[in-house]
Amino acid sequence: MGESFIQLKNLKTYFHTEEGTVPAVDDVSLSIKKGETLAIVGESGSGKSVTSLSLMRLIEPPGRIESGEILFEGHNLVDYSKKKMRAVRGNKIAMIFQEPLTSLNPVFTVGNQISESIIEHQNKSKKEAKQLVIEMLTKVGIPRPEKVFHSYPHALSGGMRQRVMIAMALSCNPELLIADEPTTALDVTIQAQILTLMKELIREFETSILLITHDLGVVAEMADRVIVMYGGQIVEETDVYTLFKHPKHPYTKGLLASTPKVHELKEELISISGTVPNPLDYPIGCRFADRCESVMETCRTVHPELKEIKPGHTVRCWLHE
Amino acid sequence: MNYIVRRMLQIIPVLLIISFIVFTLVFIAGDPVALMLPDDATLEEIEQLRESIGLNEPFYVQYGSYVFRVVQGDFGESFRYGQDALSVVWERLPATFELAIAAIIIAIMVAIPFGIWSATKQNSSIDLIATGAAVVGKAMPNFWLGIMLILFFSVTLGVLPVSGRGSFAHLILPAITLGTGIAAEMTRLIRSSMLEILNQDYIRTAKSKGIKSVQVIYKHAFRNALIPFVTITALQTSTLIGGALITETVFAWPGIGQLLIQAVNTRDMAIVQACVMIIAAIVILMNLLADIIYRILDPRIKLD
Ligand SMILES: Nc1ncnc2c1ncn2[C@@H]1O[C@H](COP(=O)(O)OP(=O)(O)O)[C@@H](O)[C@H]1O
Ligand SMILES: [Mg+2]
Repeated sequence: MGESFIQLKNLKTYFHTEEGTVPAVDDVSLSIKKGETLAIVGESGSGKSVTSLSLMRLIEPPGRIESGEILFEGHNLVDYSKKKMRAVRGNKIAMIFQEPLTSLNPVFTVGNQISESIIEHQNKSKKEAKQLVIEMLTKVGIPRPEKVFHSYPHALSGGMRQRVMIAMALSCNPELLIADEPTTALDVTIQAQILTLMKELIREFETSILLITHDLGVVAEMADRVIVMYGGQIVEETDVYTLFKHPKHPYTKGLLASTPKVHELKEELISISGTVPNPLDYPIGCRFADRCESVMETCRTVHPELKEIKPGHTVRCWLHE
Repeated sequence: MNYIVRRMLQIIPVLLIISFIVFTLVFIAGDPVALMLPDDATLEEIEQLRESIGLNEPFYVQYGSYVFRVVQGDFGESFRYGQDALSVVWERLPATFELAIAAIIIAIMVAIPFGIWSATKQNSSIDLIATGAAVVGKAMPNFWLGIMLILFFSVTLGVLPVSGRGSFAHLILPAITLGTGIAAEMTRLIRSSMLEILNQDYIRTAKSKGIKSVQVIYKHAFRNALIPFVTITALQTSTLIGGALITETVFAWPGIGQLLIQAVNTRDMAIVQACVMIIAAIVILMNLLADIIYRILDPRIKLD
């Protein structure tokens, strides 16, 4: 694993709603190296999806990237025109989503939908694209790809649909694949199949992955490095081994403690007492203070910074000053 | 196919019920004999006529023979036209179709761009203007709009004919009159379904593929918006015919609407009944068509 080829620097994405400003992504910096799988974990609402959508510049009003940089192959994507950005999306950075049913357009065939990005980015005719699509469908393990090419999404099972999404995302051989909870909506056995498939394909395509999940089982299986997010911020970042063996942030520890041993995958796994603070009104101190078992006086009054406690291991916590 | 046949068969009882209602109303409305004979007819002559056309039979016998005749396309003879009622109605249908189709074309040409525009630029000034215009267009009564158009284009400017049918110029004002309300309704419908669809996950997927936004809007979103649009539009045939009734009267447009209003005024019951049955049949067929189109446009539903 070499150079980091994509980097977020102090990214802030806020939603300006009628109730107030939601700092959904609040000063997030991260980098992904070639061939690496970086996982982002955290409870629902911690800003994982908004981080990934910001990276694709797919934030819609009332949301906005307030500041920060998205460095990709030496360029800042934040400054890209719409047209230049389109050439990146689906081509160099592709994305798969949580709900494979709602994420596919119900009125177009699978073949039609996968062909689109190939036609758009690779200057191929419909016929050439079809060949490539069939090839991709075969690669993602879809039986009778010719038939599936002409099928509508509703005619396929959840697992098949997610395979279609993966085929679509990988069809232009992207440098980075963003997978936002790719297995959350699937049955346990299908989840395992999809994860295995993704691992095989990453190796074959040499794609880097930004894997978003709230499932630490998936993290253990897939990730090289892990970022833990809470309240729109990174609270801990380390390699996957250290995360499970020597977690530092009380929130990370809480996450690990509440992970069921046999994955009960459908459920939100978190059972740390208390609730996520209201993003419209974050406390001035540590955002986790109210739920933290080791909370101190400082935690409530001063916001902790992200500190590197060991090479490659950073924590945002007053316990680790 | 089975499904369509089944739906076609369901039309029969509906038409029977309508025929019953129409017949009952006419039955209650009273005796047509007085209108059929000259003013100086004797009581004896009246009684004779009543007997000969079966008006002295009990209600159910009269209804039975009525249905029997109607099934054969015989709605009786129009007093006013001295002709078989159905063929009178039949002759008027093309004019109404012409007007309706012109109105729908105008409405579609206005509603699709404005509906999509205002949905994609929600709360922009275009959106506000389009939405406001739709409210006004919907609220404007057909007869009032028709008269205003006549006053302006025919009387003041003198560029378009006041009434009647014939040249293309004759069609313009009635089509605009009838089309305005439909355009307003369509714009509102397209806007709201586009707004909903643009928030769907598959739109985000389409954008994440890097395809052009034209393609995202017109292919991915609009193709989905077509499903409720076409369906609801077809289901609004009755509103369209209601509008045609008034528009045709204002512009002396010789269609089935004008015919019906005149027939009601002159108590030409054969025509009234034929008109109502034909209109009912058209509405029912359009509902069936809406159902079929819906199934064709939405691959999630099978025609079985
Ligand atoms: N379109 C939006 N409008 C307003 N707030 C939003 C919007 N999308 C996301 N948010 C807010 O941003 C925060 C982070 O959301 P998200 O990134 O989806 O969380 P998750 O970690 O579950 O993926 C949440 O507080 C959410 O309410
Ligand atoms: Mg999410």
